[in-house]
Amino acid sequence: MALADVCGFKLGNEHSYFGPCAEGEMGMPTLKDALRMSESFTFPCGVNLQRDINTAFTSDDSKVKIQFDHGTTTLAFKFQHGVIVAVDSRATAGPSIESQTVKKVIEINPYLLGTMAGGAADCMYWERVLASQCRVYELRNKERISVAAASKLLANIVYDYKGMGLSMGTMIVGWDKKGPALYYVDSDGERLVGHMFSVGSGSVYAYGVLDSDYRWDLTQEEAYDLGRRAIYHATHRDAYSGGVVNLYHMKETGWEKISQTDTAELHYQYKAEKEKKGKK
Amino acid sequence: MSILSYNGAAIMAMKGKNCVAIAADRRFGIQAQTVSMDFDKVFEMGPNLFIGLPGLATDVQTVLARLKFRLNMYELRENRRIKPKTFMSMVSNLLYERRFGPYFVEPVIAGLDPKSGEPYIASMDLIGCPMETNDFVVSGTCSEQMYGMCESLWEPDLAPDDLFETISQALMNAFDRDAVSGWGAVVYIIEKDKVTKRMLKTRQD
Repeated sequence: MALADVCGFKLGNEHSYFGPCAEGEMGMPTLKDALRMSESFTFPCGVNLQRDINTAFTSDDSKVKIQFDHGTTTLAFKFQHGVIVAVDSRATAGPSIESQTVKKVIEINPYLLGTMAGGAADCMYWERVLASQCRVYELRNKERISVAAASKLLANIVYDYKGMGLSMGTMIVGWDKKGPALYYVDSDGERLVGHMFSVGSGSVYAYGVLDSDYRWDLTQEEAYDLGRRAIYHATHRDAYSGGVVNLYHMKETGWEKISQTDTAELHYQYKAEKEKKGKK
Repeated sequence: MSILSYNGAAIMAMKGKNCVAIAADRRFGIQAQTVSMDFDKVFEMGPNLFIGLPGLATDVQTVLARLKFRLNMYELRENRRIKPKTFMSMVSNLLYERRFGPYFVEPVIAGLDPKSGEPYIASMDLIGCPMETNDFVVSGTCSEQMYGMCESLWEPDLAPDDLFETISQALMNAFDRDAVSGWGAVVYIIEKDKVTKRMLKTRQD
């Protein structure tokens, strides 16, 4: 170990910065460690998880403040032909627009969809964990998991990390034995069942449009238009929402992606419609 | 939240061949909410002299009013139009008077000398430090994005039509990467004998 001596590196160092966590020890790297390390999160030594980690990374006067990708508008509503899911596609870190082409609907499996609002990484990661748990359930029980159970799984997973700064406001949408289902799950451990939700910084604008025109007996086309319009109005007024509108329809046979429309296009289209109406 | 990004703005000015251009976005918002899309941030101070005021909206309106007063007094006393360079000093003085409780605006000035027609552009920080350049000046919440766009698109001695294209593309693509500015844009092309004002069709998100 000549190089180790030159660097002054001592193997199995008890004063290593990352102390032992639940499953593995960082010191002498072994094959077992490499395989198992990804199963658990490493934490800095001697730190009160709930109190220090969250405030260190998110409080305004912190020196190491992380600017999470936040700000969004997502919505979902149940109607006679299933569930409509519509989302925007902008990711912002503070005032800077990081991307206008983010996929905020996560395809958990062919009959389950999850939406992303809050921290993009948090949503993507934990919904992927949910996808693997749903698959395990299927293999064990030889039948598809219900949406109620899937949303409960997610809520219980994130509850363990409550207070540590996870930011996730998601809607779990699916069609199971009981029919179309829509649940709202967030990183505070909240889990709500309902027939219409909108999540994100632009949700207030989307609710206004949704509440005005929503009916249970909308036709398919009317429902698509309502979802798109609600997201468009949110992107127009909310600075942190924008990009394109991704529209999905959850049917008995599973979900189908209906359209992806640029909000700029929608703006000029609705403007032309208004002018035509005005001339009449 | 920084005070300078409470309302959000994007303004830039560029020099061309015997002309200058000044362009600004049109959003008036309060943090995340967009309130109106026809808020003026560029104001005429003389037949060939314009000032752009990005920053806190209330200070934009107050500085405009106080500046107009000083400018009117100057023109009454001197009985002539002010030169752009002198105007820049006037703005700088107005801002430094408030050194220990500043106005939250970072102005951009663009104009032509009344006699010679020489193009002039300058920008300032919120306490009045002037910066005169020979290419372009930017100010606002997306200044980093604007610097990048201007640096790549600008070239010297652009004719008025080419200058319009250049400044429009630079401004639009910069504020499309900023959440708190955009929602329409206005571009002024200032030449010796005429000033052309054009609105741009932009993304409204």
